[in-house]
Amino acid sequence: MIHMMDTVLVIILLSVLISLGSNRLKALVETMALQGIMVSLVPILLDYGRDGHYGGILFFQIMIVIKGVLIPGLLFTAVKRMAIKREIEPIIGYHASLLAGLIMILISTLVTHRMHLTLPAGREILLSTAITTLAAGLFLMMSRRKAITQVIGYLMLENGIYLTGTALTKQSHTLYVIEFGVLLDLLVGVMIMGIILNNIKDAFDDVDTTYLGSLKD
Amino acid sequence: MIEYVFILPMICGLLTLLLPVALGRGVLVLAALVHLCLTIMGWMGKLAPVYVNFFRVTPEGMLVLLVTSFIFTLISIYAVSYAYETKLQKERIFICCMLLFLGTMSMVALSDHPIMLWIAIEATTLVSAPLIFIKRSKEALEATWKYVMICSVGIALALLGCFFITLSMDIGNVDVALSFSSLNLVAKQLDPLWLKTGFVFVVIGFGTKMGLAPMHTWLPDAHSQAPSSASALLSGALLNCAFLGIFKVHALMNVAGLGAFSSNVLVAFGLLSVLVAGIFILNQPDYKRMLAYSSIENMGVIAFGIGVGGIASFGAVLHLIHHSLLKSSLFLSSGNILMGFGTKLVPKTGNLAKLFPMTFVSFFAGFAGISGFPPFGIFISELLIIIGAFQAGRYKSVGILIFGLILVFAGAARIVMDISFRETAQKVLVKERFFRIMPSFVLLLTSIGFCVWIPNSVYQKILHTIEIVGGGFHG
Repeated sequence: MIHMMDTVLVIILLSVLISLGSNRLKALVETMALQGIMVSLVPILLDYGRDGHYGGILFFQIMIVIKGVLIPGLLFTAVKRMAIKREIEPIIGYHASLLAGLIMILISTLVTHRMHLTLPAGREILLSTAITTLAAGLFLMMSRRKAITQVIGYLMLENGIYLTGTALTKQSHTLYVIEFGVLLDLLVGVMIMGIILNNIKDAFDDVDTTYLGSLKD
Repeated sequence: MIEYVFILPMICGLLTLLLPVALGRGVLVLAALVHLCLTIMGWMGKLAPVYVNFFRVTPEGMLVLLVTSFIFTLISIYAVSYAYETKLQKERIFICCMLLFLGTMSMVALSDHPIMLWIAIEATTLVSAPLIFIKRSKEALEATWKYVMICSVGIALALLGCFFITLSMDIGNVDVALSFSSLNLVAKQLDPLWLKTGFVFVVIGFGTKMGLAPMHTWLPDAHSQAPSSASALLSGALLNCAFLGIFKVHALMNVAGLGAFSSNVLVAFGLLSVLVAGIFILNQPDYKRMLAYSSIENMGVIAFGIGVGGIASFGAVLHLIHHSLLKSSLFLSSGNILMGFGTKLVPKTGNLAKLFPMTFVSFFAGFAGISGFPPFGIFISELLIIIGAFQAGRYKSVGILIFGLILVFAGAARIVMDISFRETAQKVLVKERFFRIMPSFVLLLTSIGFCVWIPNSVYQKILHTIEIVGGGFHG
């Protein structure tokens, strides 16, 4: 199943690059939906055929629904409510962001090698994908002005952390109650961020975070 | 079943969404009282956890739980009076979130599984965000946005730290259930490098929530924009919960023989927080922000004390208790000032001593307490921390600490004197009320009482707490 796994990881990496280079918010949300589904598939593929158990298939279905449907759905309604279609004047331009994304892939591959971990076969690529996703999420949060893109960056960061956890830890630690709790936190978090986004839109008629700078010392 | 301690407030919180507001207020106070009873039963050992994989009764958790429960009970009385008088918009959501907040904080105090702890701490962020936003002004919006984003990202890094700790288990070939209590038993076998990495991530992550500099930037905004009853909770209870996360990992490091490393990290963050708070407090025009920076300073002192170890860690735990009591009292008084004058800016207030005599007494006494004057407890705790640091030979650190404390005192004293005695032509908008005064006095008196006499069970709990980080009177 390694090939399947590689395909999924390549799609995740591509989705990271697309989201770094894209300025249409709708496309960004769609990319996140794809990424969410792919990220939820990774643990199933890792488990598949190894010890013959399909434990927690139900959990992964819930995860696909939350990461691939519910959260993007919430973001979609937020984008629709806002009149804006594009991210205008990012702090770091799209071409530069793409280049930064490529450099992140390079660095995360190097970092993975330098860590000298004895990971099972196939997990090394997973780990470098995870670190890239994580870094790109942070990068997206810092380099864009629109609040909604920052939420998307946060989601990407979470995806990256989840992948890192999958890559690093043995499956035997997994307790589905715990995983579900983390997922629930994420879902509620995005809901609350969505509510705040709507209120920012109502208060300032825009979702630009540059308006949010009046409190300081 | 000790899990009722957090299940009960959560259920009550959700219930209040369905009930009429007036009844909801009753539920708020009642739930707080029942919570206090449950906590005391837990102290007496009458309740045992059912889900032993995730929850456990620990001395440090019980201390934090008791403090949280006690101040929540008093704050709930204040909150009801406040909401009634100000005709708070969306009061239903306010009451619901207060109760959910209590529930999630209690969950933090009982968690034994690292990721369960993480889930609970992230949940405290999510349920307290609506409390900050409840006034629906543009500033409140900004504060909420910063709070949610900065804390979520910070806490996400703590999750990464938890994964690194699991990795250190796998590398060390340790096969036990993932929980702090079982990890402590096999700590020596964990891989030290990844444990250290995990600790650093956890400190940065939960340190964001605890308000350690330089990750503190959300704190002054959130604490100044939230209604005072919520600020009192944020400062008096929530910061302790985040500290608990750091403390547990620090204890693990200590048992694993890496205590020197984690102590130094804590001391460094602690000192930086005290200094940053001292610098920002000096020219602060807003008295609620002043209190927020004072919280950052006190969290720094606690981190410093735990890091130093020995007798200082006893001081740090005492400091945690007294800071919660005094700071929540101060925030409640500041809420009275805000209602009375209608502004958070110091230059537009004044003459508190004449206009609001009772609030003046509680505010001034709280200030004296938080600055470390006897007869309040912070006097003793800071003394113990400083003595402990001298014993540990950290002379330079003590110098920096004392310098920072002086800065904070200077900044705060100017503001408090201004508010209290400067002549002003300001008019009084709202008079003082008994139910808004009483809670802050009870909190102050508790701090005094606690300073003179510590009940033996509390004393034992503190000793058990600090035992694991190498603290004690003879350490």
